Amino acid sequence: MKYVGKKLGAMLVTLLLISFLVFLAFDIIPGDAAMAQLGTDVTPERLEALREEMGLNKPLIERYVIWLVAFLQGDFGVSYKYNMPVAEMISSKLPITVIMALISFAIMVIVSLPLGIYTAKHNGKRIDRCITVMNQVMMAVPHFFLGIVITYVFGLVLKLFVPGDYVSYEKDFGAFLSYIIFPCVAIAIPKIAMSVKLLKSSCVEEARKDYVRTAYSKGNNTSKVLYRHVLRNAMIPVVTLWGMTLADMLVGSIVIEQVFNVPGIGRILLTSISYRDYPVVQAIIVLIATVVIVTNFCVDMIYQLIDPRISVQES
Amino acid sequence: MKKKLLNQPTFLLGTIITSIMLLMTFIGFFYTPYDPTQMDNSNKLAGCSLEHIMGCDNFGRDIFSRVLQGMGNTFLIAVATVTIGVVCGILLGAFTGYFGGWIDEVIMRIIDVIFAFPSILLALVFVSIFGTGKYNVVFALGIAFIPSFARIVRSEFIKYKDMDYVKSARLAGVSDLRIMFVHILPNTMTVLLSSIMIGFNNAVLSEAGMSYLGIGVQPPDASLGSMLSEAQSYLFSAPNYAIFPGVMIILLVLGFSLMADGLKSR
Repeated sequence: MKYVGKKLGAMLVTLLLISFLVFLAFDIIPGDAAMAQLGTDVTPERLEALREEMGLNKPLIERYVIWLVAFLQGDFGVSYKYNMPVAEMISSKLPITVIMALISFAIMVIVSLPLGIYTAKHNGKRIDRCITVMNQVMMAVPHFFLGIVITYVFGLVLKLFVPGDYVSYEKDFGAFLSYIIFPCVAIAIPKIAMSVKLLKSSCVEEARKDYVRTAYSKGNNTSKVLYRHVLRNAMIPVVTLWGMTLADMLVGSIVIEQVFNVPGIGRILLTSISYRDYPVVQAIIVLIATVVIVTNFCVDMIYQLIDPRISVQES
Repeated sequence: MKKKLLNQPTFLLGTIITSIMLLMTFIGFFYTPYDPTQMDNSNKLAGCSLEHIMGCDNFGRDIFSRVLQGMGNTFLIAVATVTIGVVCGILLGAFTGYFGGWIDEVIMRIIDVIFAFPSILLALVFVSIFGTGKYNVVFALGIAFIPSFARIVRSEFIKYKDMDYVKSARLAGVSDLRIMFVHILPNTMTVLLSSIMIGFNNAVLSEAGMSYLGIGVQPPDASLGSMLSEAQSYLFSAPNYAIFPGVMIILLVLGFSLMADGLKSR
């Protein structure tokens, strides 16, 4: 329990620090909300009056607290460009990115777990070497290039989907899924390669330990030893990797969304950056960072469930 | 030791791939078969031929020349990024690991915060504040890479600082700075070297991703990432335009990751 409290505290401190740093970063850019509303050719007096009215002349810390409280209540500010609440702009897009990340994650787990165990079982044989070579190559492929290759092979040659013809999930969920599955595969493949490699090496390393010999000497057969004893310990580093990849997938979809023309969070983020629409950029960045940090915290907790030794060591 | 390394098939293969790629990159700095920005209307989206071995792009520019230039850009950006990360990482890691105390505590907390922040996101923050361009990308990625190197160096320094040879050096009156950088640092090199290679790969992949999004290297300068994003519109009529830059990225990354693997498994 003490361990959980300590980790929770550290997470909150990190969140506060990140939100403050991002706030500070966007604060030092010349130009503010008042200027964005009135334009550049305006008398200094009017600008000053509006600033006073919007509370932009208050000290930095006070403005940060006001912004943070509003943010926690779901008020992310107003877009300069579209003059509408940021929350409204991103609320319909957020599910797209999250669903994409979750599907990619599911694909990764479903494929890499059996594949990793299979290669570990056949360690050193020809099939293992083939998979290892494939893994090395797949880890070197940037996921957006994989996306382009998938577009070419499945979209243009095999005609399994029409590239760029995205269907909104609100309109037709089935069609949405059958389109979104291709970008998800592109995100998942390099991660599958990574986790298969890690799972295999971790299994092989565990299998050399003394307790495995003991388990065999008690008369257990290979699969019993593998699933009951080895796998449990071998999974620990893999779970850490998966936790980091879940966050990675969320961020990685920013790029993949451009390849497949999916109007998710990444699309808004990039267009907002090019329009210098800072409230939107700020909100999205803080949101994504929050998700990443909370995910890392959850991984720490799951980690402890699998391996109770960790909390004992640290406290 | 060197002989053993080269006997290892993965390391050998990695070295061969990397040498070829580096050779191509260096030749590209001084010589390209055509001017990478010269357009030629009669050769728009031309396929592979003897004159243009990788074909031509939508403006009739020679893809092979652009690939060479793009590799040069990618290589320089990756080297600059890794250099920033490694130098700052070594300094921070060495001081925090060697001296410890509350400074260590504070710096490591800040490093944890940067580490928790995805590197592409950090780069996007930089780009939205300072504008697009390769120098901003180098700066942003460099900062994003500091934490991982700092952590590695710090843990190595903690391991070595209480060893007998360090103690006897201290007794002999050697200054802290000399102990840190002359006595301890060379011992961390094997660990550092493989993480530098992995860092280089991450830099190449991130740079390609950023240029793909149009926030890294700006046109008409070529970059492997931005070539891919242009190539995407002509995927059906000229798949070679996308394939060559993509394969170059893969080979560049693959070579270093094979070498890093070989170093680690030694």
